[in-house]
Amino acid sequence: MPPCANCARETEILILDDEPIVCKRLKPAFQKAGYAVETFNDSASALTRVEEKRFDIVITDLKMEGADGMVFLSRVKELYPETGIIVITGFATSETAKESFRKGAFDFVAKPFKLGDILDAVRRFEESRKKD
Amino acid sequence: MDIVCGLKKFFTLFRSSSQPVLPFTVLFKKFRSILERNNLILELMADMGDKLGGEYIFDSQFVVDSTGRISDLVFKLISDLCVMTQSEIVDLFVAFERIQFQIQEELAGRRAVPVTKPVLLLDELNGDFSEEAGNKFANLGEIRNTLDLPTMDGFVVTTRSFFDFMEANGLFKHIEKGLAELDLADESILEAFCEEVRRRILSGTMPRHIVSAIHAALDIICGRNRANTLRFAVRSSAWGEDSEFSFAGQYESVLNVPRKGVIDAWREVAASVYTPEALRYRLHRGYRESETAMAVGCQLMVEAEVSGAMYTYAPVAAETEAMVISAAWGLGEAVVSGTAESDTIFLDRLPPHRVLSIEAGHKASKIIGEQNGGTAWVDVPEELQDAACLSGEYIQRLAQTAAMIERYYRRPQDVEWAIDRQGNLFILQSRPLNVKPTQPELHRPHIDNAALSAQALFSGKGTVVQGGVASGTVYVTATDDDLKDFPFGAILVAHHTSPKYSRIMRKARAILTDIGSATGHMATLAREYRVPTVVDTGIATKVLKTGDVVTLDAIRNVVYAGTVKELSQFEITQEEVFEETYEYRMLKRVLKKVTPLNLVDPNSEIFRAARCQTFHDITRFVHEKAVESLIDLSENYQRYHDKGSKRLKYPIPLDLTIIDIGKGTSALPEAKSLTLEQVTSTPMKALLEGLIESRMWETAPVAVDMGSFMSSFSRTFSSTMARPEDVGRNLAVVSDTYMNLHLRLGYHFSILDSYIGEEINDNYIYFRFLGGVSTVERRSRRAKFIADVMVGFDFLAEIHGDLIVGRLKKLSRERMVGRMKVLGGLIGYTRQLDVNMTSDERIDFHLADFMQRIHVLKEVRDDAPMCELRPGNRDFDSRR
Repeated sequence: MPPCANCARETEILILDDEPIVCKRLKPAFQKAGYAVETFNDSASALTRVEEKRFDIVITDLKMEGADGMVFLSRVKELYPETGIIVITGFATSETAKESFRKGAFDFVAKPFKLGDILDAVRRFEESRKKD
Repeated sequence: MDIVCGLKKFFTLFRSSSQPVLPFTVLFKKFRSILERNNLILELMADMGDKLGGEYIFDSQFVVDSTGRISDLVFKLISDLCVMTQSEIVDLFVAFERIQFQIQEELAGRRAVPVTKPVLLLDELNGDFSEEAGNKFANLGEIRNTLDLPTMDGFVVTTRSFFDFMEANGLFKHIEKGLAELDLADESILEAFCEEVRRRILSGTMPRHIVSAIHAALDIICGRNRANTLRFAVRSSAWGEDSEFSFAGQYESVLNVPRKGVIDAWREVAASVYTPEALRYRLHRGYRESETAMAVGCQLMVEAEVSGAMYTYAPVAAETEAMVISAAWGLGEAVVSGTAESDTIFLDRLPPHRVLSIEAGHKASKIIGEQNGGTAWVDVPEELQDAACLSGEYIQRLAQTAAMIERYYRRPQDVEWAIDRQGNLFILQSRPLNVKPTQPELHRPHIDNAALSAQALFSGKGTVVQGGVASGTVYVTATDDDLKDFPFGAILVAHHTSPKYSRIMRKARAILTDIGSATGHMATLAREYRVPTVVDTGIATKVLKTGDVVTLDAIRNVVYAGTVKELSQFEITQEEVFEETYEYRMLKRVLKKVTPLNLVDPNSEIFRAARCQTFHDITRFVHEKAVESLIDLSENYQRYHDKGSKRLKYPIPLDLTIIDIGKGTSALPEAKSLTLEQVTSTPMKALLEGLIESRMWETAPVAVDMGSFMSSFSRTFSSTMARPEDVGRNLAVVSDTYMNLHLRLGYHFSILDSYIGEEINDNYIYFRFLGGVSTVERRSRRAKFIADVMVGFDFLAEIHGDLIVGRLKKLSRERMVGRMKVLGGLIGYTRQLDVNMTSDERIDFHLADFMQRIHVLKEVRDDAPMCELRPGNRDFDSRR
């Protein structure tokens, strides 16, 4: 179990993607790697959840029905500046990448991606937290 | 419109058909664009194929986007070819639209009905028939026809027939309506709905064409098996069954069916698609109705004395890896359904498959086939109730057979089998076993240590196209035509990649080539079939000989001598367990319309536009036609080129005029001549430098006998004959990466067409050599010498009398340049050669002489694999 930077509990991850397959595959992969995972297919319920609970890491798609991923990203940053945000998107333009970094995303992963890519991004975030 | 105008128009039309309308530069640009698109398409295909590997996460948008990009490229590819060949290739556009439509239907989630016969004999099936015959019987066809294991004779009523039956009885509409309107979460509603559908199937009318096809097949089977009271096993073989999901036990089998009962049995099996359990199973796993289809297999019954199941990977504690057999008297249904006690035998996974334990069950009763059809439980004679039903000999045979099937599919297997009264073993079915073997990645350090003691023959050479591990016996092929005898389970070692190898993809355990690219046609196929493959090793055919036993670790890219036992467990584990998602299945189905290559051999009957079934077919067809067309065009370019030409100032009297169609020279546009230094075209420069640096021009072939005198005499003679005005001027069309050269020297006439750039896939040299004043024998000796040299430098050479055609493709820029320089040397060396070819021994003499002297070229010295003559490759007559 990878402990979070400052305490002994599991790192908690929220995943939001309107494509069910992404959640379906990421959840077991992260659980296997020792993380606690919650997944959401729509941004409304994900928003409700982050209002209730702080996650260490949020992984979100950018382009979705309803509230845009960018709105969700901004809200999470507003609530928890410490939370690491990793953006995954199928529309990988340098513009969207720039904007998500500007809004405080830690990393940017273009779809389709390898499981290893996103696990690496999460670990890099944990490493950076340890250094701080 | 008046008559004169009409006539004018007619003549314009008439003229335009006899000469190209567009300048060569434009046509050449189209050619370049075809090459570029061709590569993009192959890369996209490889990229989509990679996604099936399991390590990627992709969504349906990815599938839609990538197929959109591919079809766009394919369409433009066809358009380019139309411009290039100045013709409308209607058949290609029709093929494109047909494939495009099928893909759109898949993407839209509509039912794709396979185009096939209502009934297929088991003899016709292999693993490619999963759409038509369902996975179970496609696998069984593979086991029967490829692995040559004993199976019972029979046939399959295809999924096409299922669709026709359902459609004819209005059932699809009924079901779709029900699924859309009913609350299927309510168990009682679901059950009532299923009951209703099944009743309709059981009382449905079978379309007449299916009935007669079934009777015809039954006639064939009965005729072959000459018994009057044949009984059949009628089994389900649905889409998806026995593949990613086992659907084990979801669908019906009807046993011991007399001939007249076969169609009713079919209805029973078809109806089992709509049991509440099966429907729930599909709904639960995200199967859509458009993905549901039932093929039904009909096979002769085995009058089984003993039958059972075998797992090649026992689902037991991780540290003990074992196989397990369950066996009982009579028919196997008791064992499979788990309704009666059976014997359980554990044995070693590795040969000699030592028995670890035998536990004999108390087998009080067994199932047998009844005289008049149907099955019944009967008592087992007392003395047999506690006796083991399998002897050591049969345990061994079963273990070997199951291990063979497992190695073939590279995944653990669940094999159902039966032994008849005469002691014959039959395979009833085999499906992938859904247990994951212990994680070999965890053992990796241990295995790497073990592999250290194995002798590595070479490592890190070339590019891994498909990962995985395989051990087996090497089969070195000299040409891609000698594959008829390719043994099952061998490792193919070839000089170059060729799409023709698709023929043996299902038989080959691995593929290694000297040259070739990771994104070529063959590489795509290797990924599709998941055959561990490494290309461009440079040395595979030199190091490995037919009959060598080796192990390829295409994860670490190492080839070991012998079988490395520790690595062999990777053979079944590298294959990712398929992702159980709709997106995955969708991609897989769409790729079936994209990647398979049916148009393999350009010389074959079926190499026609109308025969294109996939985007890969179209791409390959266009590529072939474009190359053909360019060679055609360039042979006639003198009539219509539109660029100013320049004379080459060169120490050797080549009398060469150069037309630059794009960055091929650095001379001023208005200049009438240029020097070698001003030639910037990669292939042209290499050829001209090779001619000088090899120093073959000044020095005639070394002469050692009376012939020397004659040859020097005739040399003087023919060089006077070869004055420029006698032969016409030599011409080259060049760009920075391209050269098309028509060269007449003395009595030899050569055509060289070549592209050399950074993209390996584009690179090629086409060399044609003809003529010479001499006797036929001497000329054909010279031809043989030239072919020998070219083969020594990786060309494919073809001889027709004294015409030699050499082709070389897909080498890196550096290696292409090296070979082009060698051709320069060869042109210099051969210019008077035929008069010197007084006997067959001269061929070997000149070959040795040339090979030794060509080492003066730095490129030849630096490129180790180049310039080694392979023994045993001396018979070129059938060579292409």
